[in-house]
Amino acid sequence: MNSATQSPTRPKPDDVAALTTRLRSEYGDRAQTTQAIREQHSHGEGLADAALPDIVVFPHSNDEVASIMRTCHAARIPVIAFGVGTSLEGHVAALYGGVSLDLSQMNRVLEVNGADLDCRVQAGVTREQLNVELKGTGLFFPIDPGANATIGGMTSTRASGTNAVRYGTMRENVLGLTVVTVDGRIVHTGNRARKSSAGYDLTRLFVGSEGTLGIITEVQLRLYGIPESISAAVCQFPDLKSAVDSVIVAMQLGIPVARIELLDDVQMEACIRYSQLTEFAAKPTLCFEFHGTEAGVREQAQMIEQIAADHGGSAFQWATKPEERSRLWKARHNAYYAAMALAPGKQGFATDACVPISRLTDCVLETQADVAATGLVAPIVGHVGDGNFHLIILFDPANADERAKAEALAARVSMRAIGMGGTCTGEHGVGVHKLEALRAEHGDAVALMQAIKRALDPLNLLNPGKTVPLA
Amino acid sequence: MLDPAFTSSLAQVLAPASLLTAAEDTRPYECDGLTLFRQQPAAVVLPDNEAQVVAILRLCHAARVPVVARGAGTGLSGGALPAADGVLLSLAKLRRIVAIDPLARTAIVEPGVRNLAISEAAAPFGLFYAPDPSSQIACSIGGNVAENAGGVHCLKYGLTVHNVRKVRAVTIEGDVVEFGNDALDAPGYDLLALITGSEGLLAVITQITVKLIAKPQYAQVALAAFDDLERAGAAVGAVIGAGIIPGGLEMMDQQATRAVEAFVHANYPLDAAAVLLIESDGTPVEVAAEMAEITSVLTASGATEIRVSQDEAQRLLYWSGRKAAFPAVGRISPDYYCIDGTIPRAALPRVLRQIEDWSREYGLPCANVFHAGDGNLHPLILFDANKPGDKERTVEFGDRILELCIDVGGTITGEHGVGVEKIGGMCAQFPPVVLERFLGIKRAFDAQSLLNPGKGVPTLARCAEFGRMHVHHGQLRHPDLPRF
Repeated sequence: MNSATQSPTRPKPDDVAALTTRLRSEYGDRAQTTQAIREQHSHGEGLADAALPDIVVFPHSNDEVASIMRTCHAARIPVIAFGVGTSLEGHVAALYGGVSLDLSQMNRVLEVNGADLDCRVQAGVTREQLNVELKGTGLFFPIDPGANATIGGMTSTRASGTNAVRYGTMRENVLGLTVVTVDGRIVHTGNRARKSSAGYDLTRLFVGSEGTLGIITEVQLRLYGIPESISAAVCQFPDLKSAVDSVIVAMQLGIPVARIELLDDVQMEACIRYSQLTEFAAKPTLCFEFHGTEAGVREQAQMIEQIAADHGGSAFQWATKPEERSRLWKARHNAYYAAMALAPGKQGFATDACVPISRLTDCVLETQADVAATGLVAPIVGHVGDGNFHLIILFDPANADERAKAEALAARVSMRAIGMGGTCTGEHGVGVHKLEALRAEHGDAVALMQAIKRALDPLNLLNPGKTVPLA
Repeated sequence: MLDPAFTSSLAQVLAPASLLTAAEDTRPYECDGLTLFRQQPAAVVLPDNEAQVVAILRLCHAARVPVVARGAGTGLSGGALPAADGVLLSLAKLRRIVAIDPLARTAIVEPGVRNLAISEAAAPFGLFYAPDPSSQIACSIGGNVAENAGGVHCLKYGLTVHNVRKVRAVTIEGDVVEFGNDALDAPGYDLLALITGSEGLLAVITQITVKLIAKPQYAQVALAAFDDLERAGAAVGAVIGAGIIPGGLEMMDQQATRAVEAFVHANYPLDAAAVLLIESDGTPVEVAAEMAEITSVLTASGATEIRVSQDEAQRLLYWSGRKAAFPAVGRISPDYYCIDGTIPRAALPRVLRQIEDWSREYGLPCANVFHAGDGNLHPLILFDANKPGDKERTVEFGDRILELCIDVGGTITGEHGVGVEKIGGMCAQFPPVVLERFLGIKRAFDAQSLLNPGKGVPTLARCAEFGRMHVHHGQLRHPDLPRF
């Protein structure tokens, strides 16, 4: 906990040239330096903060990743792991140049073990691809961040999604990993046993480490049986408080709802327009999904409907057929695009506050009042069963005053959540955008994180400038 | 022997009764639940609050004195074995339940609070703390976090690591640090997971925020008999493979049920080669539906008899045998070795058959009692230490079981931890590249290796034979306590 993390530096042009020659000779077309491909690997989906890598390589195996890492380590060149570039916090920007290691071609499902309810996949498999390949096994993988991200990327950012309230986040669903160390050695963490008390929990240390401790190349995942019965329902409320209070009561009773999503009136208006949800009103809304046996689902739904009614909620509008459900959840997953469509020409970015659920009503209502006071358009959507909600803040990039207002609003959301015992990032990760908030939130623990970074990547070559602020 | 100047500096921060140095006073701290290893510490300190913990650690750090933290002393791998030249830091007096937040469903507790006491305090709100090691009436939550304790309920509700939100701890340098968050996620590296199961090697825990879970309205347990051990193992896989995650899924073989029946009279089917206990919990409607599915899978898997508890008294009776299995086995054999190996569930039939074969080959009976749903075995090798050669053969038998666990993709310890006991086995399970990472993490927290030295993670030079737990009549501490 003493010496500082080594400051990252840009590699020397000569070293980059030598590396490029070498990687081209070894990987041919799978080592690319064209402007277009470097540009594509310079940013995720969040606010534009592009930083181009010097070269993009597409490895096909653990051994190739290990070999590339050994080469880069010897030449002291930074390496940034890249999945499909859907991250929101600038995780993949090559701030100091170097190699963007694109794992999207490592996209095989290696094994599916029905009796153990687990599977092993390469890092470049996307969540939708995995579920397609699981068809016919009666199993599914539940974690669903809006984007069709890779499993490797979801693991690196400890992603969650709409049904984390029932199935947990990547933290609960990654059983083991294959990781390539900065000096090019292949490490297997965890194992197929369901629990182990042997050694430190390297698996969870790598989950959420955002490519700063090692390159994740394979992931062992927990799977679930597809529920016998699934149904979804929508309930609308006279005001935001009633909606959030209903969620708190439902959670306290331990009703095992699979999804509880909140959309405020502004977001609902946006979704009605964008996804033609014309049967609904622009009011604060909760969308539920129930998984279980037929009787169990009916029972859960009755309990929730009763709680909602006690808080002034409407009768449930049901979506029981698969196509009705997918229309509803597609609308939810498109919330970001719907919000953007409210104000064409503006840019948007999402906050990611998460608070203890007992503070959720306070946090959401204070945030709503805060938004109103700024005069900005910033709809609220949230995985409220987890205490996690997003503000999609829209601003005109050409208007410096508006941008400053938007950034100040986002900062207040982060600090409000932290002040309530919560966090500035429930699921999107730290990346570059939240380094300072991490310090505010974790205090002395940041020094330990720096010490761990130093222990596993002493030269600061793995995704430098992200996740943990320098001392 | 400690430097008198160091001892007197300890005396300045502690009440006189909280600093023990006389041999007769430190004797009770010479071992934990694993009695095979004993060592009296140079001093025992019993701080009353976190500020004293900070002061003690600062003094130890400055004087380079080793520190071993201890909770209730029920650990089974020697994790709380004192260092001869060090300080044994008991957290027993930090036992306040600081707060319960029924809406957030969390409880903030000090490390010395007993596991069961949390559920008792949460009961008025209809909530409970799910991980339930069988020693839960005595073991403390701080020790549970340090060992990542499991239990019967962990199949459905997760291990300690899944049920802890936040940990407050003191580093060896005396800094108070918080890991995790009151909310569901925390940014940055998952130090909370790192501290959970770290066996006191990284920091001393002073406060824990645990998750509470709504108590299920209703529960039923099915007791299923099988005339073949392997078939029972396959039935475990069939239940889980059907997508059912029961509230508990436990297995006992005939050796175990016979020992238990004589002890608790639970009316187990004694002619069965193996018995499964499968619990379903939830609302009555859910339980009825799930139980119907469970019994149909069990029937299809070849169960010869299935009984479903019809009331709470019967449910508890069926469980009583499982909970008392270890004391019961202790009654029928002079000695036993307990193994904690854990394997992928699909490997259960193969491993059970192999253990049966080895049992015959070594001429040593082996009672199998375990958390089958998690694949966590607790084979008990019965032997008589007074018979020449028995102990050596038992050790060899146990080693082979653990090697087999590693071979099938499992681990040498599912829930008891490494401690001093399995330090050798760590070398068999992990290659140097992983051990180096473990040691790097240790150095990041505790560069001088003052916290619980010699436990948990072996130095690369120290790769020896597998360890195991040895229980001899009269040596098991708190022999009356239900375990595993």
